[in-house]
Amino acid sequence: MKLLEIGIGKTAETLGAWMLGLLWLLPVVFAFWSAFHPAEYSTNFELFAPLTTDNFVRAWSYAPFPRYLLNTFILVTLILAAQFVLCTLAAYGFARFEFFGKNVIFALVLLQLMIMPEILLVENYRTISKMGLLDTIPAIGLPYMASAFGIFLLRQSFKTIPKELVEAAQVEGVSAVGILWKVYVPLSRSTYIAYGLVSVSYHWNNFLWPLVITSSVNSRPLTVGLAIFGAPESGVDWSIITAATVMTMAPLLLAFILFQRQFVQSFMHSGIK
Amino acid sequence: MKLIFQPRYWNHINGWLLVLPAVFMISLFTHFPIGSNVFHSLFSMGTATRPEAFIGLENYKYLMDDDIFWKVLSNNLVYSLCTVPISIAIALCMALLINRNIRGRSLVRMAFFTPTVLPMIAVANIWLFFYTPEYGLFDQIFTVFGGDSHNWLGNPDSALYCLIVMVIWKESGFFMVFYLAALQQLSPELKEAGLVEGSGSWYYFRRVTFPLLMPTTLFVMVNAVVNSFKLVDHLVIMTKGGPDNASSLLLYYIYENAFSFWDTSYAATLTVILVLILAIITVIQFVVVEKRIHYQ
Amino acid sequence: MSKIILNDVCKSWGKIEALNNINFECENGELLVLLGPSGCGKSTTLRLIAGLETLTSGTVEIGDRDVSNLPPVKRNISMVFQNYALFPHLNVGENILFGLKARKVPKNEQKKRLENAATLLGLADFIDRKPAQLSGGQRQRIALGRAIVAQVSVCLMDEPLSNLDAKLRQEMRQEIRSLQQRLKMTMIYVTHDQVEAMTIADKIILMKEGCIEQHGTPEDLYDRPATAFTGSFIGNPPMNILTPDDLILDGLPSFPTPLAGSTIRYLLGIRPENIEISGESGIEGLVVAIEYLGADTLIVCRSGEQLITLTVKGKTGVSVGDHLRLNWKPEHIHLFNGEDGRRIEGLAGGLIS
Repeated sequence: MKLLEIGIGKTAETLGAWMLGLLWLLPVVFAFWSAFHPAEYSTNFELFAPLTTDNFVRAWSYAPFPRYLLNTFILVTLILAAQFVLCTLAAYGFARFEFFGKNVIFALVLLQLMIMPEILLVENYRTISKMGLLDTIPAIGLPYMASAFGIFLLRQSFKTIPKELVEAAQVEGVSAVGILWKVYVPLSRSTYIAYGLVSVSYHWNNFLWPLVITSSVNSRPLTVGLAIFGAPESGVDWSIITAATVMTMAPLLLAFILFQRQFVQSFMHSGIK
Repeated sequence: MKLIFQPRYWNHINGWLLVLPAVFMISLFTHFPIGSNVFHSLFSMGTATRPEAFIGLENYKYLMDDDIFWKVLSNNLVYSLCTVPISIAIALCMALLINRNIRGRSLVRMAFFTPTVLPMIAVANIWLFFYTPEYGLFDQIFTVFGGDSHNWLGNPDSALYCLIVMVIWKESGFFMVFYLAALQQLSPELKEAGLVEGSGSWYYFRRVTFPLLMPTTLFVMVNAVVNSFKLVDHLVIMTKGGPDNASSLLLYYIYENAFSFWDTSYAATLTVILVLILAIITVIQFVVVEKRIHYQ
Repeated sequence: MSKIILNDVCKSWGKIEALNNINFECENGELLVLLGPSGCGKSTTLRLIAGLETLTSGTVEIGDRDVSNLPPVKRNISMVFQNYALFPHLNVGENILFGLKARKVPKNEQKKRLENAATLLGLADFIDRKPAQLSGGQRQRIALGRAIVAQVSVCLMDEPLSNLDAKLRQEMRQEIRSLQQRLKMTMIYVTHDQVEAMTIADKIILMKEGCIEQHGTPEDLYDRPATAFTGSFIGNPPMNILTPDDLILDGLPSFPTPLAGSTIRYLLGIRPENIEISGESGIEGLVVAIEYLGADTLIVCRSGEQLITLTVKGKTGVSVGDHLRLNWKPEHIHLFNGEDGRRIEGLAGGLIS
C-alpha cells in the first residue's frame, strides 16, 4: 500500500519533470521547425511538411554570416587567451604573495563582478574612441580581458593547492614562475575548463557592448549581425530570420549537446564559492 | 622577469608585478569610467557651436523631473520583482526534480539548461514571433480557444510582462545549476536521518533543505537582481523600450540617450544612478552575508 | 519485545551481489556487532534493517513483525550515522528533537524527553549551541541523544566512533555500552575495528564478502575461530596462519604425524601469544624484526619461506639475526581446511596424544 503510494508519487514527479522539460525545449524546437520548413508551415505543424534548407541559403545570401561567424570566433579566442594570461598572473599574485595593499586591491578588483563593463558603456565608448580603436575586434574584447570573475575563480583554485606541493618544488629548486607553470596551472585544469566554457558562452552571446562599438561588417560579431538582419524594417520574412537565428546559436548549442555534462558541471563549479 | 621568494620586499614587488596588468586593465574599464561618469554628469553636452560647460547638478535636477526616467526606473523595479523570485522558485523546483533519481534525468537537465547557452538576441527573435499578432504562436493558440487577437508587445499594459515571461524562461535553468551544485553537497546522511526520524518530504524541505540552501538562494538572488539591471539585449530586438517606454529599462534608456539621442552627459548621469543602485545591492549583500549564520 | 530476525536476506545492485543469504537473530536487549573489513556488506546489512535500502530477497523482522516492505519511520528504530547526520543550521536541542517535532509529539513531552537525554549525556549546558561549535565527542552525543529521545527499543549504529580520536573512542565506547544496558536497548552496531567489537559486544557477526563468516560471543571468535579468516581478523597481532611444510613439521615432535601423510591440504593457526621460545625443541626461526611495545615485545621470525610472529612479555634480550627455537602447546593449535579455510573440528586435539 505504502509502496504503491511512493510509486505514484515518483511517477507524478517524473511526469512533471518531463512536462516542464518539454515546455522549456519547445521554443528551441519551434525555431528549428520554422528554419527547416517553407514559410507557410511556420505555424502550421504538419508532421510531413516538406523539409527545406532554402531558408538557410537565402539568409546566407542576404547577409555576410560567414564573416560574422569568423569575427565572433576571433573575438572569443582573443578574449579567452588574454583572460587566461592576465587572470592567471593576477590570481597567482593574490593567492600566494603578501604585498602591500593586497586586500584593498583585491576588493577593488571584485567590484567588477557587480559593475560589468557594459554598464559603463558610455564612458568605455569614449575611452575606446580616444584609443582610436572604434569598430575593431580587439575593442570589443578589451574591457573584458582582465576579468574579476576569472581572477576570483583561479585564486580560489590556487589556494586549495597544498602548500606542501609548492614547498616540495621549492626544495627542488624550481623558480616561482616555474612553480606557477608546473604546479598551479596543471593542477587547476578543471577550473580553467570551467572558466573557459563560461567565458566562451558569455562572449559568444554578448550583444550590447559589441553593438555600440562596431559599425561595419569587418568587426561585427554574429549577435549584432543577427540583430541588424532581423530588424523588422529589414523586411525579411520570418522563416529566414529563424534560419539565421538557428545559425547563430547552432555552434554553441552543438557544443553544449555534445559536452552537456561538462557544461553543466562548469557552470556549477563556477557558482560555488 | 625573475621572481624571487626570499627577501621581504621582493614579495611585495613580485606580488605587485603579477597583479599589475590585470589591475590596470580593470581600473581602465571599471574604476576610471565610474569616476569619469560622475565627472561628465556635471557638464552640459557640448555641441558644434557651444562647448561643454560645467553645470553642477543641473543634469540631476533634470533627472528628477524626467518622467521617462521614473517610468523606466519603476519598470525596472517591476521587472526585477517579477523575474527574480519567480525564476528562483522555478530554478529550485527544477533542481529538486533533477536531484531525484528520475528516468531520463540528464535529458531533462539539458532541456532546462538549454536556454542559458543561447544568445539573448536569438531568444528574442524566437519569442518575438511567438508574440506577433495574428500569425504568432500565442495568438494562434488563443484563437483556437475562441480568444481575440492581441498585440502582445504593442500594448503598453502587456509589453513588459511579455518580456518578463521570456526572461524567466531564459534564466531559470542558469540558476538551477547553482541549486543543483548546492544540493549535491548536502550529505545524503541527513536525508536518511530524516527518513528514520519520520519527517515527511514537505517537512524535511521546510526544516532542512530550504534553510541549508539559504546561502545559495542569497547568491542566486544577488546575481538575478544584478542581471535584471544588466540584461537589456532583448529590448533592442523586441520592443525598443516601447510602446511609449512601457517596457524600457534603465540600461536601455542609458543606451538610447547615449547612442540614439547622443546626449552623453545625461547618459553619464543615468549611469551614475545605475552604479549607485548596484553599489547598494553590493552593500546589502555584504551585510546579509556577514550576518549569515556560519556553519561548518 | 524487539528481537531482530533476518531470513535469507540477499541484496544485489545489478549484477553485483553485496549480500548473500544472510540469516541471523539478535535477541531482545542484546548488543550485536557486525564486524568485517570494508566492503564486506556490514553497512548494507544495517541499512537493510533500517529500511534505507530495499531487499532483493528475504525478510527482515523487528519485534515479531515483518517490516521488509515498510519505510524506515514505520520500523520503530533509531539510528546513529557515521558522520552523525546533524543538521548544521539547527541547535543541539532542535537537532535532538527533530524527529519528535516531525511526528508531532506534544510539546511538554518533547521538553521532558530532551531534558532527560541532555542530562544523561551531559549536554545540558550546550542546548542552544550549533553543532559546529562543539567537539567531536559532543557531536557524537547529540546523535546519541536523538536516538534516546525517540524512545524506541531498537538502535542501529553505523560506525559511530570512526571519526573520533583513539582516546575519545575508548570513552564513548564504554558510554554507549552502559547506555545500551541501562535503557535495555536492542542494538546493532557496525564497525571494522575488532578491538571495539570485542570490548562492546554481546555477540559478534564477522562478515566477509557478503557472507557471515562466524556468529558468536567474543570468546567464541577468539578461542574457536570458525575459519582461518576469523582467526587472522580477531586478535592483535593477528593469528599466524601457517602452511605446514616439512620444516615446520620436522621441528615439532608433538605434531600429529597422521595429518602429515594425509591427502587434504590444511592450514595451521597459532596465536602469537601462544608461541614460546624454547631452548632445545621446536622449529627453528631467524629473527628478522623486533617491535618493542612497552608491555610486550613483538618478534617476527622467518622459518623457511614463512614469517611467524610471536609476542613476549616486557623487553627481550633477543636481537635481529638471532636464531630461535619456537614451540607451542598442542591445545593452542587451530587447524583449518586448506581449501575453504573452515575449521577442522576436534582434529588437532583428537590426533595428538
